Amino acid sequence: MAERKEISIPVADPTNPYAIPAAMPSSADKNPRSFSVEDFALPSRKLDDWRFTPVERLEEFASVFTPAGQVQVSVSAIDGSDVPSGVSCVSIPKSQAPAGTVSKPNDRVSAVEWNSGANAVHVHLAEDTSVPVLVRVHSESFELDSLHLVITTAANVHADIVVEHDGDARLAEGVEISTGDFSEVSTTFIHEWSDTSKHVGNHRIHVGKGATLRHSVVTLGGQTVRIRMDQDFGGEQGDLTMLGIYFAEPGEHIEHRTMVVHNQPECKSRVIYKGALSGQGAHSTWVGNALIEPTAPGTDSYELNRNLILVPGAIADSEPNLEIENGNIVGAGHASSVGRFDDEELFYLMSRGVPEKEAQKLVVAGFFNELIEEIGIPAISEHLMNTVNARLER
Amino acid sequence: MSVLEIKDLYASVETNEGRKQILKGVNLTINSNETHAIMGPNGSGKSTLAYTLAGHPKYEVDSGQVFLDGVDILTMTPDERAQAGLFLAMQYPVEVPGVPMTNFLRTAKTAIDGEAPAVRQWTKDLTAAMKNLRMDPKFATRSVNEGFSGGEKKRAEVLQLELLKPKFAVLDETDSGLDVDALRIVSEGVNRAKANTGLGIMMVTHYTRILKYIKPDIVHVFADGHIVETAGPELADYLEEHGYDKYMPEGSTESAQA
Repeated sequence: MAERKEISIPVADPTNPYAIPAAMPSSADKNPRSFSVEDFALPSRKLDDWRFTPVERLEEFASVFTPAGQVQVSVSAIDGSDVPSGVSCVSIPKSQAPAGTVSKPNDRVSAVEWNSGANAVHVHLAEDTSVPVLVRVHSESFELDSLHLVITTAANVHADIVVEHDGDARLAEGVEISTGDFSEVSTTFIHEWSDTSKHVGNHRIHVGKGATLRHSVVTLGGQTVRIRMDQDFGGEQGDLTMLGIYFAEPGEHIEHRTMVVHNQPECKSRVIYKGALSGQGAHSTWVGNALIEPTAPGTDSYELNRNLILVPGAIADSEPNLEIENGNIVGAGHASSVGRFDDEELFYLMSRGVPEKEAQKLVVAGFFNELIEEIGIPAISEHLMNTVNARLER
Repeated sequence: MSVLEIKDLYASVETNEGRKQILKGVNLTINSNETHAIMGPNGSGKSTLAYTLAGHPKYEVDSGQVFLDGVDILTMTPDERAQAGLFLAMQYPVEVPGVPMTNFLRTAKTAIDGEAPAVRQWTKDLTAAMKNLRMDPKFATRSVNEGFSGGEKKRAEVLQLELLKPKFAVLDETDSGLDVDALRIVSEGVNRAKANTGLGIMMVTHYTRILKYIKPDIVHVFADGHIVETAGPELADYLEEHGYDKYMPEGSTESAQA
């Protein structure tokens, strides 16, 4: 008889059933983190992270390039007046902290961005701001360009920052966000590129201990826009809300990937992305990854994606992934849907005399309303609603 | 003085088992200031008649006409029918998430009248109408029908009826799901609309109890997709006592009492 090899099974501590880390390694996040382009494979539909992306449209972002330097970055208060006190905006070399301190590039295009161009724009919020800070990123050129933006805040600060993108562009953008302990911060990124523009973005986010961050992304224009957001917590009781609104039209690919990592105890995360798609060839992708590590007891997480197909022929990919390695959590939920206009809703509104087009507008406004309100920047709410309405007029 | 004329109306619905004809030759004329009760057993096609008049996409008209003051409304879209003066109070009003009641009411009023109502007058009318229906003012800020109780939904339907001032209202089982107090309040609203605008009413109901509050001039019995008997209010009394047995296939019984 062959000798039996003893299998070692971790034994639970009866007083603390949650103490043992999961025996399995995380499967959601096996990708390397590195500043080196060579560490990442070329984007291909065969790779899990790229399987929804029309990679051929983003070829130019797969190898290091010399940025054209045409992209203009300006900082002001949201009403256009001077930068509020306590806000600084400087250009720093990428080799200088805090650039490169919030995690590391996590895919080929983010590593390329890091290695294309020498400098970063560093916006630091040292004090509470009475009005939101506006960072305007404007481009009028399709020459290949890069931008590395670092947003940091002091501890205990209450501040709102809005980053607006518009114009014609082919832009690789890296964003690092690090919020101070116990701060309450909102960062809102608006992408209203022209309909032949391309944008690959990589947000690396670190939420301070006990801090609250509301991170919003609004993507209303661009031929191909792909934004990946990776986040972690710096201490217990962090609170992260990630909100997203997008509108994809024929020929457009709009992709958002959120990666929420619960690595600290008692943190809360909410991810809510909603999109409208209109017509043949409109394509949206939302991939929501949430990882709850063994070190994160008391985690409360939820992610949701809803897609409203306005005109048939559009494709919405929606994929929530949830990996839970800790049994002692408050909640970990997800929901995802892709649907047409509800005929009953439209009929109800029309039976009250509201013409079909108007009824559709009401329904879409209702679909986005809550989220726009939740983004919580009144100065941009009306603009967003008007922009969405203008899209419906087309 | 307006007239709603339904002429030999046949309509079908697409089901899993194929196309099924529900309305089989409906003939009915309603004048302004008249209240007609359409009563009948479950499954007789009463609600189909209501939805077909309003233009619900699920129901297809096979033949027949419906004239509102001489104009055939069957060729119109649902919004055009409403603009022409037809109103349907639904048995199950639809929830429209994220659309505040006030926006919706104002949009509807603007569409019906062809111009936006004057702000001050509109606010006054809305407040008064809500007060009459004992509705909480907070209700105006909530999303259309979302999270409303059954009674609140029916009040909201009658609120719209009073504000939009149609020529004809089709009330589909408006009494269902209402307690006695709510039934009285809702009925008062309908009676008010009639007194104020000379509204013609087609009241679809299975039960007789709402007829105590909204008095019909004419009662029709609806069975197997068409009207089988027409008489005065005394017909409702007969139905209350004997049910719909007489109008149903052999062997089945159904009461008209709630």
